[in-house]
Amino acid sequence: MSMPFYVSPEQLIKDRAEFAQKGIARGRSMVAAIYDRGVLLVAENPSASLYKISEIYDRIAFAGVGKYNEFDRLREAGIRWADGTGFTYSREDVDARALANYYAQHLGDMFTEGQKPLEVEILVAQLGSSLRPTKLYRIAYEGTIADEPRFAILGGDAETIMARFAEADETVQPLARTLKDAVAALAGPERTLPTSDLEVGILEDRGNRRTFVRLTDQQIDELLS
Amino acid sequence: MGLPLFSAHSDPGPSFFHYAEMTGLTSQTGLAERDSAHATTVIAVRYVGGVVMVGDRQATSNYIASRDVRKIEPADFFTALAIAGTAARGMEFIRMAQLSFEHYEKMTDSALSLEGKANYLSPIIQRNNLTTPLMVIPLLAGWDPSHQVGRIFEYDGAGGCYERLDFATIGSGSPFAESTLRLGFRSDLDLDGALDLGALALYEAGDNDPSTAGPDFVRSLFPMMVTVNEKGFQELATEEVAERFRVINDRRTQSGGIPGGTLR
Repeated sequence: MSMPFYVSPEQLIKDRAEFAQKGIARGRSMVAAIYDRGVLLVAENPSASLYKISEIYDRIAFAGVGKYNEFDRLREAGIRWADGTGFTYSREDVDARALANYYAQHLGDMFTEGQKPLEVEILVAQLGSSLRPTKLYRIAYEGTIADEPRFAILGGDAETIMARFAEADETVQPLARTLKDAVAALAGPERTLPTSDLEVGILEDRGNRRTFVRLTDQQIDELLS
Repeated sequence: MGLPLFSAHSDPGPSFFHYAEMTGLTSQTGLAERDSAHATTVIAVRYVGGVVMVGDRQATSNYIASRDVRKIEPADFFTALAIAGTAARGMEFIRMAQLSFEHYEKMTDSALSLEGKANYLSPIIQRNNLTTPLMVIPLLAGWDPSHQVGRIFEYDGAGGCYERLDFATIGSGSPFAESTLRLGFRSDLDLDGALDLGALALYEAGDNDPSTAGPDFVRSLFPMMVTVNEKGFQELATEEVAERFRVINDRRTQSGGIPGGTLR
């Protein structure tokens, strides 16, 4: 019988974190930012059908970076959770904070007990109402949950992008300005991102129950011009 | 409720009904309590640019249980869904349908086709009607954006789904409404003609069926009138509905309550 080598808990956590970080860094990043009338989500995504940004509920959106199959499964679970909760209780009882906590627990469990940690970083955004504030919950691969006050960057190059965006937008701005700065922050000084490589969704009150809308290339162009 | 994660082989897919069944969110079957409130007459009439739906507002058990029930609801932007039968199960059914269409749209990022929605409802009706005496009969009408026509789907008690190219009725006042529609329907009805015919058909049902309420001028409660066309689901304002029923009522008062052998 062969004896397994001893690996210290510190080393194990470090290895797992490195593994997850590497996986996440392979994909492209995204920016979520609160603007004067809602929440903007911008991802660099060359695919026009495999989305990173999605509607969860009337006032809740989801975004994920990293391994597509892993965060898409979390997205589906989120929609099921929200629709099930709204069906059992009431639409106004569906709270993004509860969902963010479930995500954090699941990612935490997978990080310590799973075969491998999930190589994803996700965001749950909530558009405020008279009942709840506007919120951006960022959940990292190991289950750390952060309540970001104004904007959040997800993905490998988060720190650089964050510095660029924070410098450009010091306060909450209108949609067009926020989008411009978010795209510039994602692209960096050496690149320009074509509209076809952008995926943009917003949460904004337009008199409808459902506040999420995906912006078309044309709408993105108009806002960026 | 925790985070509902499934492995690929047991995943319920984009169907909220199947997810609800797996997780016990759906209502009990096999219960036998007959004495519950019943909802009555709803009709749908096709016209050249879409579908008109008219439904009365009364729920009846042994007595009148409610005078202002809404039996027609938007299932989504382009679809209207009406129910007859047990009110409790009917309301739950509408909620399930509304949520299912939205759920599908969010899960797959594409809307179900109108025919897809119609077929989707069959097993839900089947599950309810074949396992409980608390019958529900729905009526689905919608604008089909891919074919640019209004379409009507009716159901039998066992969940069978049938498309109707002219009109359809559900509920206890159906025989009277159906007779009126049979005489008055033409394939070239315009919106105004369809609203007139729909109102008259419901008036007849209210006149002859004790469980269907006609216009209630005392309480200012009138049947619901709805149009579904390329602009989506729209409910007529109470004043407009009241006016249409007032015209019919005045005519009927002048003739001493006799329909008069014509459709006037």
